[in-house]
Amino acid sequence: MGNWFAGFQQATSGMNAARYGISVVGQNIANANSDGYTRQVVTQESTGVLNVVGLYTRPAEDGIGGVGITGTIRQVDTLLNARVRDEHAKSDYASTTADQLSQIEALFPAASTDGLAAQLNSFWKDWSTVGTSPDNTAARQVLLEHARTVAGTLNNLSSSLTDLDTSMTNYLGQDVASANTAATQLAALNSQIGAASGTGIDVNALADQRDLLVDKLAKLTGATTVIQNNGTASVTIGSTALVSGATTSAITVDSAGNVSVGGAAVTLTGGSAAARVTAIQVTVPAYRAKLDGVADSVSSVVNSVQAAGFDRSGNGGQPMFTGSGAAGIAVALSDGALVAASSTPGGNLDGSNAQAASRLGASATGPDTAYATLVGSLGAESAAAQNASTTQQSLATNLDAMKASVSGVSYDEEMAHMLTYQRAFEASSRALTTLDAMLDTLINHTGRAGLA
Amino acid sequence: MSAISRVTVGSAGYTGVQNMEAAAARMAELQNRLSSGKRMSAPSDDPAGTVRALQLRGALSRNEQYTANAQDAQSWLNTIDDSYSSIVATLQRARTLVVRGLNTGVNDAAANQALASEMDTVRSTMLQLANSTFDGRPVFGGTTGSPVAYDTSGNYVGDNGVVSRDVGEGLSVDVSTTGPSVFGSGAGDVFSLIATAANALRTNPGGMSGLLAQFDGAIAQVSSAQAQAGARAGQIQDAAGGLTTRNVALQSELSGVEDVDMAEMAMKVTTANTNYQAALQTTATISQLSLMDFLR
Repeated sequence: MGNWFAGFQQATSGMNAARYGISVVGQNIANANSDGYTRQVVTQESTGVLNVVGLYTRPAEDGIGGVGITGTIRQVDTLLNARVRDEHAKSDYASTTADQLSQIEALFPAASTDGLAAQLNSFWKDWSTVGTSPDNTAARQVLLEHARTVAGTLNNLSSSLTDLDTSMTNYLGQDVASANTAATQLAALNSQIGAASGTGIDVNALADQRDLLVDKLAKLTGATTVIQNNGTASVTIGSTALVSGATTSAITVDSAGNVSVGGAAVTLTGGSAAARVTAIQVTVPAYRAKLDGVADSVSSVVNSVQAAGFDRSGNGGQPMFTGSGAAGIAVALSDGALVAASSTPGGNLDGSNAQAASRLGASATGPDTAYATLVGSLGAESAAAQNASTTQQSLATNLDAMKASVSGVSYDEEMAHMLTYQRAFEASSRALTTLDAMLDTLINHTGRAGLA
Repeated sequence: MSAISRVTVGSAGYTGVQNMEAAAARMAELQNRLSSGKRMSAPSDDPAGTVRALQLRGALSRNEQYTANAQDAQSWLNTIDDSYSSIVATLQRARTLVVRGLNTGVNDAAANQALASEMDTVRSTMLQLANSTFDGRPVFGGTTGSPVAYDTSGNYVGDNGVVSRDVGEGLSVDVSTTGPSVFGSGAGDVFSLIATAANALRTNPGGMSGLLAQFDGAIAQVSSAQAQAGARAGQIQDAAGGLTTRNVALQSELSGVEDVDMAEMAMKVTTANTNYQAALQTTATISQLSLMDFLR
């Protein structure tokens, strides 16, 4: 015969377990929309079963001791989480790249009737007008005016590129500052988690925060993370440690966009910061070089035509443009009479040199072609970046959904669990009252034969 | 999405939001295209099309200039042609005067004197015609910077420079006519001829019979120059016609590259609108349901 009162213990442990279950359900529902919250599930097992069988072991009826809570487990798939971080790093790289190229693109209007291409068209037309009427002083002045417009537009484009470069450098600085803050917070969390897990305290909430921080670091810098057995996160950029346990190395960036971690140079491979570095070091310089090519082409083709001709007074033509590159190009002439319209000296009204200049617009090696090539390659690069960004974003969103499917809260499921725990509580209560009634029978209603 | 077996608040949210955002973005883009009427708002919308549009705009701009040049060339040649007609008429008048001088004979000095003064007038008319200008430039003076092609003594002060106009890609038309090619050169030019005739009327009316043939020669030379100018005018007219056709072709190609097909775009916008509504409606309907609705 077993112990009568063990039944009370069993029923109580059942009610306790159900109550705890309900509280976890409540926690899950309360945090269904919390950023980074991971669904928790109660694990429980029957207790008191003898697991060591000895010589005097009796049948197990005494050993049945109810239910025990063994833990509250976060529902995570660590491999999936690592993939989510990886794809988010790529996605942020792709979207930042696409965004930056769109900003560069905005400088070069496509279907518009203004912009450098239209100004060059006017410029070449002016040459033709001067070729037709070399004696027309106004036409010569208009030509120089349009030359100044072309030079001014090239100057503006160049300074806009510089502005873009500056803003990207500022963004890179912001990204690096955010990453450093996140790394510092992560190191502090690591030390809390390490200490707590040693003592067996529930670290689920800290782990949620830890995962949020490593996600952020991945999005910013493409850093990779390994979760250690004690729950701490080790973060590396390239092969350089950023956060290891409670220690962290600072990320620094120099004026040329070179990134170092703890003084060691690193190459960022993902995240928005990597895209900024690429823009600062590769993309913007490449388009600046192309724009400089257009400016130098304008200046060299027009100046060589000028050099081949003679101005209104019959003197050899002087260079029309000075300066090099899009930033430096400027118009050297202020008097329209200095436009070398004539091919022959003597101050005649020959316009054939100006006509030769007007044909430069159609040249396959002229500035117009160089500009069209610039716009075309920029468009193609930007379109490719947008496609990559769209694809990568949808991939990242899909993975987010998969992660949410594993770690997220489902109301229906929690409702069902709630019902289960409610019923379990009711049943345990019923077991208790039944046991109580049985004892009542035994105590108050037995051994009374003949009493009443 | 097929890998998802557990639908949670988050996963359903991500999917719904992604679908709604995609539908809204698609509709916004289409509406932007429809309202601007342009297929491309940035080079990345169609990089190849953008380059083509730039080339077409360049070609259109040049075509516009060629058209202006062709009009200028035509006006220039019209001025020359008008001059030729007057020049021929003036030469014929001079020839008539010579014929009348021959008929009058040597005895009526007063009549010959009158003919001679008229011949002087003819010479100054001829000089005026030879100095015909278009837009301030003497049309028979080549590329001279001087305001006249002939000075008052009848000496050519122009040059042999070529005046040409670009009227097409690689098509340059020479519209110049130098004075000597029309009026003859040196002592044999028409001004000397008319002066000789005037002189002969005054001093030696009997010795003028050889002059008639010279006048005939001069008239023939001018007529031939006129025919040549006519041929050039015809060439320019052909080129101008070609330019108009090319302008239409370029415009229509540019429109094809840049402009939206309104009917097609309106269809697409309607479809996108329907998709967006559907995405909104499903999201709204689905998220209203939960197990809680059925627990009593």
